[in-house]
Amino acid sequence: MREPILITGMGIVSAIGLNVAETLASLKAERSGIGPLRHLKTTHHEFPVGEVQLTTDEMAERLNIPVGQPRTRTALMGMMALDQALNQAQLTTDDIARAALISGTTVGGMDMSEQFYTDFLTNDSHNDYISQHDCGACTESIADHAGSFDSVATLSTACSSAANAIINGVNDLRCGRHEIAVVGGSECITKFHLNGFNSLMILDHETCRPFDETRAGLNLGEGAAFLILETASSAHRRGVKPLAVIEGYGNACDAFHQTASSPEGEGAFLAMKEALTDAGLTPADIDYVNAHGTGTPNNDSSESHAMIRLFGDAMPPVSSTKSFTGHTTSASGSIEAVICLLALQEQFLPVNLGWQNQMPDGITPVIDQTPLHPLRHVLCNSFGFGGNDSSLVLGLADSTPSLTVREGAECVESAENTLSTESAPFIKGRAGGESSVYLTAATQISIQEGLSEAWIETPIIYDEPYVRSLDINFKQWISPAESRRMGKLLKRALASSLSAMQKSGMEHPDAVITGTGLGCIENTEILLTHLCEEGEENCKPTPFMQSTHNTISSLVSINTHSHAYNATYAHKEASFDCALEDAWRQMLLGRIRSALIGGQDEMTPMYFGLLCKTGYLGNPGQVAGEAAVSVMLCTEPTPEALCKMTYFKRCYRPTAETLGTVAAEVGQVDAVMTSVSGTGAVTESHLREAARLFPSTPLLQFKSIFGESYSAYGLGIYATAHVLHRQHLPEAMLIPSYGRPSSLRRILVLNQISGKDYTFAILEI
Amino acid sequence: MEELISQLKENIIEVLNLEEMSPNDIDNDAPLFGEGLGLDSIDALELIVMMEKEYGIKLKNPAEGKEIFKSINVMAHYIDEHRTK
Repeated sequence: MREPILITGMGIVSAIGLNVAETLASLKAERSGIGPLRHLKTTHHEFPVGEVQLTTDEMAERLNIPVGQPRTRTALMGMMALDQALNQAQLTTDDIARAALISGTTVGGMDMSEQFYTDFLTNDSHNDYISQHDCGACTESIADHAGSFDSVATLSTACSSAANAIINGVNDLRCGRHEIAVVGGSECITKFHLNGFNSLMILDHETCRPFDETRAGLNLGEGAAFLILETASSAHRRGVKPLAVIEGYGNACDAFHQTASSPEGEGAFLAMKEALTDAGLTPADIDYVNAHGTGTPNNDSSESHAMIRLFGDAMPPVSSTKSFTGHTTSASGSIEAVICLLALQEQFLPVNLGWQNQMPDGITPVIDQTPLHPLRHVLCNSFGFGGNDSSLVLGLADSTPSLTVREGAECVESAENTLSTESAPFIKGRAGGESSVYLTAATQISIQEGLSEAWIETPIIYDEPYVRSLDINFKQWISPAESRRMGKLLKRALASSLSAMQKSGMEHPDAVITGTGLGCIENTEILLTHLCEEGEENCKPTPFMQSTHNTISSLVSINTHSHAYNATYAHKEASFDCALEDAWRQMLLGRIRSALIGGQDEMTPMYFGLLCKTGYLGNPGQVAGEAAVSVMLCTEPTPEALCKMTYFKRCYRPTAETLGTVAAEVGQVDAVMTSVSGTGAVTESHLREAARLFPSTPLLQFKSIFGESYSAYGLGIYATAHVLHRQHLPEAMLIPSYGRPSSLRRILVLNQISGKDYTFAILEI
Repeated sequence: MEELISQLKENIIEVLNLEEMSPNDIDNDAPLFGEGLGLDSIDALELIVMMEKEYGIKLKNPAEGKEIFKSINVMAHYIDEHRTK
């Protein structure tokens, strides 16, 4: 039996309240938080929004953030919600130190980037904010405010980001990596995405009316919510009362269009269906659905069709609470999960405000709070651009018989047989505890010859600080009609993905998971430049659509018509690492048998300049590059398989003791492939640390050939796989005075990021 | 009208990045969406931005585009009637 995953704490900040009590009061009083713009500096005052009532400075003051310390609105809202959740779950510093934090955002620090963009380019007055721009920085700020988490990751699947953060927290606990996972998301309104949504013409000039025949778009909202997920045994041991149970989840890709849902709602239908199956429930068991319900003509029609397909005539009560909060985009998954949890606890139905006119083919939403039946199981939908559709099933804590934890008491009568504190008997996955997976193909387009392994014999060695990708002829992979709107990175990512699929003979992997630190930064730059130079008129939809991080992963699924699991991680230099970790977890759980993992980043001249200011690039001997790397991972070997991965672990701010434990788990390896780049002080200190952890082991480097980029770790995995397979090591990978491996059978690929984030993966043949 | 049509075609090629096409490849009466040029909803939004920027025509509802973007001829007539610059 699988151990239940409990929710033992929650926190929420949105337009309808700064905490759980205020949120509940607003929902009960049917008081919407949508109104005229107050805080955001924009010319678009014609659009109603759901702003959090506090200014950014007021938030910082409440959180005691010292004046002068960089702060972004998304991070601050996240901190406020996280504090509440940690308090409710009574997590101690020690509990946090053994917990994972997984957060979802897309906007990251854009509120400040758009304000200081001209300064970034022309002076040094706001350099502190350059490194706050990306999504991963935002998550790290939230994490560091609370303590020292054991691992930290950032999901970025647009409007389903927080839902996918919750899903990956569930997987993290199910596979026994942690006993506590703190999950959720945060997103503030920015001029950037207000204008982006406006260019897509999906903002309503009036208050939004989800599922109403006259609906004309969404109202943007903002906020944050976090949940504490915990295994039943951990909650039992700590004597905390569960608020609810996460009973199941589904994640599917609509694979239809970057910004529109399919008319029949295929992705939504598959995600809901999978969530029910995962929870062991039937449609008839669902007592309430919190719909994605954005209020756009397209979403509400598509989602209605999907729900009618799933529930038929027995439609449970459905509402969209975006009519209260506005569309809180990346945070909506966790904000609405908290609302579902309140509905279960308080046994009421959150209504759908503003609904008057029945859609001809649509569902009829809830307008009365009183449920006809007790609420036991509720479904929560979150769908994102690119068709990243996810669904969660939450259940009453006492609907699971073995979970009747007595308040304040330390034990449970009926739970003894099922709640073992021993390690992971609940992994339903693969027979015999098998934990190796096979790299059946690995491809790259980077600063070496693309879709080729020529670098093994004749690597191109650069001595410039910044080199662009050597692009291939894309016509072989992408038709001109398909490619005309794609930026360079999208073309590289798609071609390397298709090549990896072809080489592995796996056209439809069970998962498509992408890591990208910055997404298509070229497009972000185009829109930011437009806003700064031309103002907020005539913004084009294409740069906005392609600036969304998950556009890359979605493109792969759209192009290959794949409805399989799809996710995107945007966590700085650990983006690829997070994607690999997701696949590794799901393979341990037996949930997937194959996954296409991507690491996709580009570097524009402008962004190179900014990252030189932060000290990340432009260091002695360092070459900044670009990466489009694709790795196919399978649980079964193929004749062409390059090697297998037998160990994987990520750690955030590990103590010396934790690093020692990991090094002991790694054991003897033939070499350590390090992530050092250039010859500066950071390289020296990383090499000393690696030599200390793995004494008498040769240290190698791959960035001497492939350069530095946010997705470079993917190239490290790619390069090591081919070195093992070919049994040949280019001289350029050796590091003077750090040895030469005597055999090439078992190599640790190590990522050391800024002395705080670490990834360990063992590849072997 | 001839001049407007040829300028419009060039604008469309540039805005929609139809690198492989020249104005002569676009039939004045062929549908722009679905068959014909095979454009999609994002292209329609790009054309709406282009109409505002180049000709000062502001559409409030993307659905209006469906009628206007039927073909180059229909579009050119609409622009001719409604342009403010």
